[in-house]
Order: sequence, then C-alpha cells, then structure tokens
Amino acid sequence: MLRMNETPDPEIKAEQLARLAQILDVEIAPEELAALSNQLHLLDDLEQSKLHDHLPILKMDADWYD
Amino acid sequence: MTDSLALINLSISEAATALRQGETTSVALTQATLARIKETEPTVQAYATVPADLALTAAERADREIAAGRDRGPLHGIPIGVKDNCYTKGILTEVGSKMLEGFVPDFDSTVVQKLYTAGAVLIGKTRCHEWSCGGSEPPTRTPWDLSRFPGGSSIGSGVALAARSAFGAIGTDTGGSIRIPASINNLVGMKATYGRVSMYGVLPLAWSLDHVGPLTRTVRDNALMLGAIAGHDPKDPNSARVGVPDYATGIESGVRSMRIGIDRGYFLYPGVVDSVRSVTETVIDELTSMGAKIIEISAPELALTRETLLTIRMVESASYHRHQIREKGHLYSPGTRATLQMGEVILATQYVAALRARERYRAAMNALFRRENLEALISPTIPLPTPLLPDLRKPRTDMNNGETPTDGFIHHVYPANLSGQPAISAPGGFTSSGLPIGYQLMGRPFEEATLYRIAYAYEQAQNWHERRPLHVYD
Repeated sequence: MLRMNETPDPEIKAEQLARLAQILDVEIAPEELAALSNQLHLLDDLEQSKLHDHLPILKMDADWYD
Repeated sequence: MTDSLALINLSISEAATALRQGETTSVALTQATLARIKETEPTVQAYATVPADLALTAAERADREIAAGRDRGPLHGIPIGVKDNCYTKGILTEVGSKMLEGFVPDFDSTVVQKLYTAGAVLIGKTRCHEWSCGGSEPPTRTPWDLSRFPGGSSIGSGVALAARSAFGAIGTDTGGSIRIPASINNLVGMKATYGRVSMYGVLPLAWSLDHVGPLTRTVRDNALMLGAIAGHDPKDPNSARVGVPDYATGIESGVRSMRIGIDRGYFLYPGVVDSVRSVTETVIDELTSMGAKIIEISAPELALTRETLLTIRMVESASYHRHQIREKGHLYSPGTRATLQMGEVILATQYVAALRARERYRAAMNALFRRENLEALISPTIPLPTPLLPDLRKPRTDMNNGETPTDGFIHHVYPANLSGQPAISAPGGFTSSGLPIGYQLMGRPFEEATLYRIAYAYEQAQNWHERRPLHVYD
C-alpha cells in the first residue's frame, strides 16, 4: 500500500499502466509504455513538489497574460 | 510579366503589387501555379487535392474585382494552399486519413472563410500527417533533399512553398507543426498566440494546444497573411477578443534597444548540433550588431514542458478519437491509432496535474518576460538539420541518451504551444551541404508584430530566404 505523498517508481507505474491498458483494450508497445510511465512519474514528482500554489488552467483564454 | 517561372518566384507582396500595377493577373498567377503543381507534384506530392477549376473561377473573379476597383487587400487574387485538416465547403477534406476518405464538408472553416473574404485563391489542399499526428509518413518530399524528412505535420504546406507551387499556405501547430516544416524548408512559419486565429472548422489534434497559422517565403508575406486570418470568432469558444493590428506596419522599424533573451542551458542543450548552434549564434550576433540587447536568462520551468504537453496532448487526442477508434479502428494506420489511443490510460488526476504544471510554466514565462523586460526569446527551431528519412526515429549516433531526431524536434517548439505564446520560425542559414536551418523567436502574448520586426530585420541583413532548392529548378 502506498502512503500519501509517495510516488510509485516508473517500473511500478509501468505495470499499473499495462494493467489499465489491458482492461481498456488499448494496445501500447512496451517501449512506449516505459516512456509514458517515465513521463507521468516526472509529472507526479512535479505535482508533489512544485504545484501546490497552481490551479489548473481549465480554459485557455486571452486574459491569461494580464 | 508573362514568364511563368518569374511569376511563381514572386513573394505575395510582390505579386500583389504586380497585380495592382497591371503587370500580371490573378488568372496568370493561378495558371502559373497550376502548371507548377503539374510539374512538381510527381516528385514532391505536396497536395492532397487541387480544385483547378474552382481556383481559376476565383482568379477570374479576383481580376474582375481588382479591375473594378474593389480591392480586398494584399491576398486578393493570390494562390494559397490550405492544410487538409481545414474544412472547405465543396472540396475534399481528408486529413490524410482513410476515415475521412471522400469527405466533402458543407461549410468552410473560419480560416478559409477569411481567406476567401480577403480574395485569396484556394489553389489546393496540402497534405498532412494522418489526423495531424506523426503515426505514419505521407509520400510528400522536400525539394531541398528528397531523401530527407520534409517536416510535419503541415508537410504539404511547407513543401508547396519550397517547390513554388503556392505563394503562401495555411498550417496548424499543436507541437511545432508549422515551425518545423518552416525550418526544414527555408520558410517563415508563425504560430500566433493561442486564440488569435479561429480553430472553427479545423479538425483538432488537442483542443487546448492547437493553433492555425501561415507559412510563407518572406516575413512580410507572413505578416500580411496573419492579418487576413486573425481575429475574434464567436464560433470558436477559445477565440480571443483582442484587436488585430496591421502586422506589416512598422515591420521595418528595426531592433535597436530590443531585449531578446536566451536560455543557453535549455535552448542550446547538447542535442543541438554544431551547424545549428553556429547559425543561432550568427543570428544573435547580427541582431546585436543592429542594436538589440541579448539577455542571458535561465528558465528552469522549461525543463518539464515536454512531459506536460505530451500528457495534455495524449488525453485530448484520445478523448476526440476514442469512439471512432473503437468503432472503426481499421481505418487508422497502426502507428496513428497507437499514438492517438495512448492517452486513454492516463488518469484524470494526471491530466489535471499537467494542467497545473502548464499554469506554473505560463506564470513563470509571464514573470520572466516582465522581470527582464523581454521582447522575445531566441532559440533554434529544431536542434539538427533534417535527417534522412530512415534515421528519423533511430537513436542519434552523436548522442548517448537514446534521443532520436523526432524526440529532438519537439525540444524548442513545445514550450510555445504549452504557454500559448506566439512563436515564429524564420530562415537562419544553411549547412555546408545546403540544408536550411531555421531559428525561433517566442514573444509576448498577442505581440506577433514584435516577432515580425525582429525576423524582418535579420531577413533583410542576410537574404537567406532568397535561396531556392535547386532540385526543382534543374
């Protein structure tokens, strides 16, 4: 069981993604799965360390630069 | 002016002047372009569809209007290509796919409607990668070197201009798809600010990252085209309510005292080969000699733009395509299907994390531009000259981290798609073997005019844009 604030490493995440892909009947090549896993792992890390003060952009609009 | 080769080599602004001075006609320009298409298409295959009769009818109308004093502006009577993901009423729109084979829309995308309003002659629909993503390779080839990658996904738009079978072309850019073919084909490509050009009637790849924009052979032409297609559109919910300036006005004002930033750590990372590094430094030196100030900056938030953008792109693409893929997956090529489907396994929470990362990045870029009072950031457009086609997805032999040319292509262009900032690629120089090398400028939101000023200044100093691909001239 993962504790709060613990990010699964890329290998565990790749296994999770593979299971999800199987359930959803999505074909993903192993090397692409590994790349996706790494991509999401890096984002997870960023989310935990640096995104606390940032709300998601839900709509791109012209006011963002003000 | 009757020489066909002379006509097709004109820029848009030169052709517009010639039309108004009675030196040529839109019909002559269109006939010369159609002849050029006939001559070059067996080799370069830039077009998916060429509605010759419709183009000639539009050209005759343009000539009548110009003769009657009804001047619609600089695109009036000019043959323009449009990427095949833009809806065109009564004209095939297949986005390089089997799924839409034979599809003829019953309305025009806003960008096409605006081109028509400006009096442009739609000369053809330019080829693109299937559904604007790179899962399979079209037969299109660049006249700069038929054995090398011609760019993508606005592949036909770039090649048609390089081959002189259009005077300007429309492309779309979700992760560099205007700027990459511009760089490879010695062209100017503008991805304007997100929301600047309406996406209505354009088949999406990822809604929050997609942009429509012009490719041209000169900076001024690009400014003229953007002026014709930009503007608020109530049919596009993401369209910006921001006034459209005359982008060509002030284009000659120079770069004196302009502050242009460079993050050498990110933009000149080890994947940038010497020839590209050298061209980028030459552009910097030239701009400096013209009075610009180069500011060394560091933007650590650039580091995860790739992961952030890919996560958003994958989810939005999967959302658009998943039902079609379930029902008619055989109508997608395997590579495209895999690329478009992968986002289904990304969790909603991970997508939201990417949206938060995007906000962090955008805020950081805003702060950087304000703090340093920057007009632009400069970088290469892509880190290496275009590779041989078989090497496109192979690990580079000069890198030890497995990076492929395709991986490298996104390094410099993704950041502007993620933030929505405007970004232009323009001709920067050439390799010793004659391959074009582009450079990129990223600017403040809705300040495309500033990027045109900088690019124009360098263009006038170097004239790289006047070089032509010898292949189609032999």
